Amino acid sequence: MSREFHPLVKQLLDGERTLSELPPELQAEGAEALRLLEAVDRRDVTFSSRLEARVMREVRQRVAARRNRANSDPVLWRWLTAPSVPPWVVGAVLAAAGIALVLGRPGSGNGPAMVAPATAVIPESVYVKFLLFAPAAKRVALAGTFNRWDPGTTPLVRLGDDGVWTVTLGLPVGQHQYAFVVDGQRWVVDPAAPAVDDGFGRKNSVVSVSAAQGRVL
Amino acid sequence: MQAVLAGDVEQYAVLVRRYQDRYARYAARMLGSVDAAEDAVQDALVRAYDQLARCRDPDNFAGWFFLILRNRCFAERRRDQRYAGLDGAPDVPAKENSEISLERAERARGIERALQNLTPEQREVFVLKHMEELSYEEIAGRIGTTVAALKMRMHRAYDRLRELLEEMR
Repeated sequence: MSREFHPLVKQLLDGERTLSELPPELQAEGAEALRLLEAVDRRDVTFSSRLEARVMREVRQRVAARRNRANSDPVLWRWLTAPSVPPWVVGAVLAAAGIALVLGRPGSGNGPAMVAPATAVIPESVYVKFLLFAPAAKRVALAGTFNRWDPGTTPLVRLGDDGVWTVTLGLPVGQHQYAFVVDGQRWVVDPAAPAVDDGFGRKNSVVSVSAAQGRVL
Repeated sequence: MQAVLAGDVEQYAVLVRRYQDRYARYAARMLGSVDAAEDAVQDALVRAYDQLARCRDPDNFAGWFFLILRNRCFAERRRDQRYAGLDGAPDVPAKENSEISLERAERARGIERALQNLTPEQREVFVLKHMEELSYEEIAGRIGTTVAALKMRMHRAYDRLRELLEEMR
């Protein structure tokens, strides 16, 4: 006997036919199929009343850990209070950005295209310049592990009329994941940078920041 | 949700209370275990908090959260797939014998076991259609696919279920 249900029986299971509409030779198979569905357990499932407490405990721990990291991380403070960035650093960043723009800019179209971030180092922190070619965008923001994926905190600035958006951040040495948010809706990964699965079916770009990398520039 | 994004973390408890049981049955049937489902929902709720700023439609937190939970369930099933087998009975309790006949109770247990041997995709469409009792159109909208693709997946699931149930006899 075939183990596949007849197509008409599958329609019965789908609720598109009734048993009485099946031809006589399929009545038994149809009845068997319906018994399968009748036995399906559709009872509600409820979880422990402690679930909410467990979730909130973990969420509070994460918030506390972030606060501790922010309080102990001097990078942002140094960035804000160190306007005396060595001129060679700025020059190197801009030069690297210019080269990257030539290489990364698409020949046509209005879609955004990310240019690999350029980096430069100052003592104990590294500036990373992020660039996006998005001539049709009205606004662009950066969201990543360094700002809790909040697209409201790190806007990019448009450079002139050639569609290039940029922002420079002081980031701690290490690996950071990020994406660009175009016009508040579209999340754009960097085609020129490595990407990793975010665990939820999408990709994040990755920048690995190291002091050695910065000195090269 | 806006309050949570603005920094009032305690307001997240409101979302947790509202949604923690909403997809409990889905997760339990997908994972074959209420305990595993509870762990998955807990994990998904924490992940949802981490990524709350990425929820593009605040009015559809439920749909967005469902996709996070769905990915969590799929990842766990794929990870455990190599260990799956007909001998591994799920711990989702079958209906009480007092409510239904012994034969139907046995059949229900058999279906639960067979479901765990479908692919995650086949199991999902069966759970959503015949346990959550959604239409093909509703399922397509929820998980972002076509009705035709769902029907093909489901029809293969019917055949596989029949085959598995016969093997268990």
